[in-house]
Amino acid sequence: MSTSSPRRSRKPGELALAAALVVPIVVVMGGLVFWPLATSVLDSFYRIDPMRPGTPFVGLANYGSLLADANTRAAWLNTFAYVAMAVVLETIGGMGAALLLNRVKHGRQWLLAITVLPWCLPPVVNAIVWMWIFNPSYGLLNHALLWLGVIDARKVWFNDQATALFLVSLVHVWRMMPLTAVILLAALQSIPRDLYEAARLDGAGPIKSFRLVTLPLISSGLAIALSQSTVFAFNLFDEAWILSGSSLDTRSVIIQVYLTAFQNLRFSSGMALSILAMLASLMVSLIYVLRVYRETRYD
Amino acid sequence: MRSLISTLPRRIGTAVAVALLVAWSLGPIYWSLVTSLTPPLHLLGTPSLWPREITFEHYAKLVGATSVSQGNAVQSVWPQFSAALVNSLVTSGLATVVTVVIAAFGAYAFVRLEFPGRDLLFVAVVATLAIPAYTVMIPLYRLMISLKLIDTYTGITLIYVSAFLPLALWLMRSVYQAMPISLEEAAWLDGAGRIYTLVHIVLPLSAPGLIASAILTFLNAWGQFMVPLVFSPTLATKPLTVLIPEFVTRNYIDFGLMNAAGILAIIPPVLLVLFLNRYLVSGLMAGATK
Repeated sequence: MSTSSPRRSRKPGELALAAALVVPIVVVMGGLVFWPLATSVLDSFYRIDPMRPGTPFVGLANYGSLLADANTRAAWLNTFAYVAMAVVLETIGGMGAALLLNRVKHGRQWLLAITVLPWCLPPVVNAIVWMWIFNPSYGLLNHALLWLGVIDARKVWFNDQATALFLVSLVHVWRMMPLTAVILLAALQSIPRDLYEAARLDGAGPIKSFRLVTLPLISSGLAIALSQSTVFAFNLFDEAWILSGSSLDTRSVIIQVYLTAFQNLRFSSGMALSILAMLASLMVSLIYVLRVYRETRYD
Repeated sequence: MRSLISTLPRRIGTAVAVALLVAWSLGPIYWSLVTSLTPPLHLLGTPSLWPREITFEHYAKLVGATSVSQGNAVQSVWPQFSAALVNSLVTSGLATVVTVVIAAFGAYAFVRLEFPGRDLLFVAVVATLAIPAYTVMIPLYRLMISLKLIDTYTGITLIYVSAFLPLALWLMRSVYQAMPISLEEAAWLDGAGRIYTLVHIVLPLSAPGLIASAILTFLNAWGQFMVPLVFSPTLATKPLTVLIPEFVTRNYIDFGLMNAAGILAIIPPVLLVLFLNRYLVSGLMAGATK
């Protein structure tokens, strides 16, 4: 790694020091991320299955069988539903929380701490707490809705797929919304106050000044927040796994990867699916970044 | 005052919004706390927002008491719980220390030292933030088996470091970039070496950034579930996040016990938020806005 090229460095000791400081990063990231990533891509073209002898080259067969597999298709649809609900709810909620935090003057630090807290907790614990709230017999949700008269009989929430997907998303949103809020708050705080003053003098109301001043100026923050929401929702595992395990109704793509690889021991098929999941989440976040950039720039 | 009256609706609106945000964020945690303090029989009745009777028996079950439930003697889960608690603390602690040390020294090289491929390497490492950790789980699993690192602290720590290093590196680089080089130059003129300057001048000045990186790494490691689900099959390294859901698969779901265990598991993150939220938020903001 540290082959010296003396044409640039003035002091040879500097290069040796740089090598010493950077080698741990190269070793850890190379060995545990880049190399596995490369083998993941390569191995997805072979049949690697501890239960069957040999590892023949199979080309795109793993990918082909994924397309044909009904469970995998269901998992993709669930994941798209998670991404859509999570991104919309996190962005709306996070924007609201950020605008509120930006306005509150007394005790902002405390409100910020309270807002951030759900993000800091282990997702598994969050899911358990919500699982108890969603409990069909003794859960708070059923009791509250009965008491309010919204429903007239207890519901087994996870019996209905749409409801189940929504509730899993809700738990995910509860955890991830703080991140969106903090990112947008940082963006809001970088807007100079006099721009709002100028907009007000020009007769812009709160909505117009939000659209013409706030939105364009937080666009890069918004793009980052949207990408984060997307990547995390694509990788939803903990909440769905705790709330309803391997149930096909709520199975996400990552749960499908886990089941394929670590329960059915079809390694190469799991690798092919995880690579598709990675590409999909990268592509969707790239679209956001480009669109938000284009649409909110007024030059 | 006229302005007080004219801003009243706005003030009420803000107050309502604040109340909603607080209820949304703290409500579920409050409910979990109430549940963990409610006697088992009351859990099967109509819920009340305030516990009518407080009991510590769920916590007692976790830390050692044998109890009777539905006519069966229930063994304490303390042996498993304590082992998992230690595992969580050890793996998260090790991951935090190793990650922050590598990032603190490595980021310095990326900012202040010249070496071939510097920017390419940095971009490559940080780009892995966009790659879901699960993409590399399967080859990593086979690698860990061949290295005999499954179910060892070393294996888990290495995986955590590889997953959380990019963020810490990014944070520390932005901290060093914001630091004026004149301080270091003064020390060099006095004859101090690079490493002496880094350790005695740069690192102490970077304390807020180091704390932020440490908090983010610790919280990420503390909450990990899928990595230990695969790489920690036994109590040798199994953390709380993997143990607590296993309480479900007993003959009945003991929600009092699970909520009590959950409350204990969130104490470290809650303490971090209470006392070090400033650093945490600045870390999140720096990590997100650069």
